[in-house]
This record gives sequence, C-alpha cells and structure tokens, in this order.
Amino acid sequence: MRIIVILGRVLDPRGIVVNPRAGRIFVNREEYILQPADRCALEAALRIKEAAGAEVVALPRTFLPDDDILRQALAIGADRAISIADKPTALPDDGLMARVLLAAIERLGGADLILTGATTLDTGQGQLGPRLAEALGWPQIVGAWTAEATDGTVRAVQQNGRGFVWVEAPLPAVVTFVPGALKLRYPDGRRLINIYKGVGEMAAALERWEAKDLVAPEALAPVLERRGQDFPPERERGVRLTGSVEEIARAAADALRTRLPC
Amino acid sequence: MDASFLDLLMAQQEEVTEAEGGGGIWVVADVVDGAIAPVTLEAIGAARNLASALGAYVYAVLLGDGISDLAATLYQAGADGVRVADHPALASFAVEPYLEVLVNLFQAEGPEVILFGATPQGQELAPRVAQRLGGGLIEHATTMTLDEATRTVQAAVPIYGGQYFEIVACPQARPQVLTVEPGAFPAPFMDPYRKGEPKHIEVTPVEPRVRVLGPAGGFTPPSVPLAQAPVIVAAGRQAGDFGLVERLAVALGGRVAGDRGARDAGWIGPEQIVDVRGVTVAPQVYVAVGIRGDTFHNAAIENSRFILAIHPDPTAPIFRVADLCVEADPKEILPALLHALGA
Repeated sequence: MRIIVILGRVLDPRGIVVNPRAGRIFVNREEYILQPADRCALEAALRIKEAAGAEVVALPRTFLPDDDILRQALAIGADRAISIADKPTALPDDGLMARVLLAAIERLGGADLILTGATTLDTGQGQLGPRLAEALGWPQIVGAWTAEATDGTVRAVQQNGRGFVWVEAPLPAVVTFVPGALKLRYPDGRRLINIYKGVGEMAAALERWEAKDLVAPEALAPVLERRGQDFPPERERGVRLTGSVEEIARAAADALRTRLPC
Repeated sequence: MDASFLDLLMAQQEEVTEAEGGGGIWVVADVVDGAIAPVTLEAIGAARNLASALGAYVYAVLLGDGISDLAATLYQAGADGVRVADHPALASFAVEPYLEVLVNLFQAEGPEVILFGATPQGQELAPRVAQRLGGGLIEHATTMTLDEATRTVQAAVPIYGGQYFEIVACPQARPQVLTVEPGAFPAPFMDPYRKGEPKHIEVTPVEPRVRVLGPAGGFTPPSVPLAQAPVIVAAGRQAGDFGLVERLAVALGGRVAGDRGARDAGWIGPEQIVDVRGVTVAPQVYVAVGIRGDTFHNAAIENSRFILAIHPDPTAPIFRVADLCVEADPKEILPALLHALGA
C-alpha cells in the first residue's frame, strides 16, 4: 500500500503581530512550522504504516523555498519525500497545486490513500483534499479524527454534530484531518542530521522534481490572484444590555449563537 | 386603502421571473433541522447585491427529502428562481448523490458565480464542484465586491482566524465558486409577498461511497489545551453557583476556566487560571461570569474574538474589554441564559 501525505508549512502565528490601526503586519520572528492539520495526517499515515505496512511518501501542498518540512517528515518516519519546485505563489493556491500534485501522483505510479489536513492555519483553505479526490474520482472523508486502513477500506472517525461516528470508504480514497486530532511523534535526531547531511540510508529519500516537468506551462498559471489586504475594524467594546432578566438573557444567547464556531 | 387590498396588490406585483439562457449567481442551500440555514439566507442577500452590479439573476438550489415547501423561504429572501431536488436518496447529506445533482444542473445552466455556506456540507461540495467544472474556489468569504470590468468577484478571506484579511479573486477561472462565512453577511429582508414557482430537478439516485457505520462509542477527542480552546466559560469570585457556570460551558461546548478568585474558591485547578501569569487565551467566544477583570486577567483575554461579561458591579474593569456587558448578578442571569440557550 502506498500512502501519500501532503504537507504544508505556515508562519508561526506567535511570531507575528497585526496592528489594524496602522494597517501593518509585523513579523517579529520568521519561523515556519508544519501546518497543524497536516501534522495529524502524517501521524495517521505512520500509524497505518505500522499497523498494516505501507510506503509513506510526503509531497508539499505549496511550492516551497526550502525542504525543511519534508526533511522533518523523513526524520519522523516517512519513507520518501518529493520536493516540487517552482516560483512560490503570493498565497497558497490549492487549485493550481491540485493540478501539479495530480501529475506528481501519476508519475509516482498512483497511490492507495492520500492523507492531508482539512484546513490550513493561516488561510483556512480546505479544498486541496476534495479537489484531488474529485480529479482522481475517489471518495473522500473530510475532517477525520483518526483513521485505519485494512482489507481495501479506510475507516475513520468523523464528527457528526455534537457526536462522533465511524465512517468507511473503499480504497483508494482521500482522508483529511482536523487540527489537533492526533499528536505527531518527535523526529529521530540522528536520522534528521543524516538527512540534512545527505548521508546514511535516507540520503536518497529526498527527491527534487520541477513543476514544469510535470505539467504544461499553462497549467502553472495561478487560479487565485491576490488583490490587496484589509484589516478588521476597531471593536466596539462595552455594549451594555438592558431590559428584564429574560430580555437580557435572550439577547446574550442570540449574540453567543452567532459567534459560536460551527 | 385597507390592508387586505394592499396584500392582494403586492401579491400580484411580486411574482418573480427568471432569465433565459443560463448564467447568474447560484446559491446552494443548507438545510438544518428542516429549515433553511441562516448562512444560506445571508448568501442570497450577498448574491442580490452582486446581482445588481452584474445585471444577473439569483437562483437557489435546494436538495433533500420532503423539502419542497422551503422554496418559499428562498424566494422571500431574494431568489429569482429556485431549483428543487426532492428525493429520498437525498434525505441525508452524502457527497456523491448531492454532487451528481449539482454538477448536472450547473453543466446545463452555466452559472457565473456559485455560493455555498462555509458549513461542513459546503466545505465538502464546493471544492468538488469547482474541480469538476474547472472553476476557482475562494473559501470563507467575509465580504464580496465586483470588479465590473471583468465581472470578477473579489472576496476578503480571514487570515489566522480574522487577524487580517486577504482580498482575492479568481479572474481566469469560471465559474467562480465561493464559500460564505456564516454570520459575515447581514440577513436579507424577508419579503413575504415575494413568491415564485420552483422548478423540480429529476434525480437519478447515486450510491454514496462513504458509509456511516454508526456511533464511535468510546471515542473521545484529545483534549485541546486551554490556550487553544475555541470557547471558554470562565468564573470569578462573583460567579455565585459554579454548577451553573459548568452547565453554561456544556451548553456552549466550551471549556471551564476562571481567574485567581475562582482558584481561591477551589472551583478550578491551577492549570485553568486565565491570567498572563497562567494561561493566555484567544478563543472565539469568552464568557466571563462574575470576573471583575484585573489587569493581568484582561491582558490574557485581549485577543479573544468575542467577550461576554456578566458582573454585578457596573464599574468592574472587565466591562472595558468586553464586547457585550451584562450588569447583573450571575445567579439571576445564568438560569435565564441557560433557558434561552435551550439547555
């Protein structure tokens, strides 16, 4: 079984300060981390590999200026990682990357399972997994908490309202994970050093492909175009509720309902 | 002129008409508990604004089982045309049956813009529709404007949960597919006189490939650290009955926390203290019950998206950082609030 894990990186939000009044974003510490939801996908892939035996191949969800997250994935337990190079886009562009990743999956000789994050920490995009599922004609399980693959099927726990249900899809399939679903194991330090040095058994595990070798030049045209930036308005604080206890409670309940996460 | 005659006159005038020749802005409706979801009505309102600038018509698509009557709500919200796919095979949401109906419809109608709610259903369908039709997809739109020269929709999408917004567009890809963030657009005026005749879509049942096996008994999701919890209900010295605070947390699906006063009262553990010396939080909803709000506490919650404060003292510093202030004794307000939340 071959499992493809699609991983992305994100600027650590703890390193940035947004000043809406000045209309500026200050990057105090430029540190990139693995997308939290993609971390869960990688952990799920490694658990399936341990339980059922599989080859885990890591692919990037954007064009990356460096291979750090792919090296991390190899150090954590992935068997292969493929960096796909091209000019980075202004914003993560899942429509464009779906085309490139499809070609990369085809060059790899296909897969049985594609795992990735259900949402990104920065832009909140969750379209890459379903786009790949659609292009490949595969079923999708979106927002999984855990997954196991046996006997030609993948079973996953998915949230259904306030409860959780087991769902099952035939392989091949795409499964996307919610952030925080699984705790990613730590990388093997010696393996990580060897991967950076390019020595040892993992020396050839990181490959570099050019996007222009995978798809036609017109397929590398971005789908999304960045047209500007905006900042939230100043908050109107201190709005006082008046009326009877019941009226206040109703108004407070309505305000809470509209602001609760889905 | 008496009201009944006015009603009759309005009813005659407000029969809506549809355009010939496809195009238009299409909204795929979400149905929750047998009613149209608020996000769908908000999307129709946003679509109407775009339609005025585009010179286009607004259509809504309704899928489900026994849902035909809901078409009237979509007309009242501003739809010029409604397509209804009412079939037992669509009783509960599954990707393949819903996708089949939508793709066949959109391939025939050639929409210019398609809007989904940014709900679990919309998040699953929108990328697949965009991929199948060769369209571009913008997720979590919170504002939409039109570049009239190219008939391109420009949308603001929240970055890092809304700390700032990027304005993006799909200038080359058609159709332009967007998911609309719930609560981002105002609910439209519901015109009770506006009505139309929905068109029913022929549904060919498609077997879903993802099967629901049953409840995941025994599965408990890993606990999220308090600092990352999306909803927090925090108690202070003036909270009164801590049991009510816990019930409110359950009703909102949130975590219980508190200030140092709650810790001194023995209600919470040290790891639940919200304070710059304890845990700094940034939830989507923070409810402060009976917390006076000292400098250390208020600094620890300043990045919360929405703060509701309940405290009997109108001069309590918590009211300077709260979005919504309730000057009352929590012991009186909490039972009524729980009742209003249906808990």
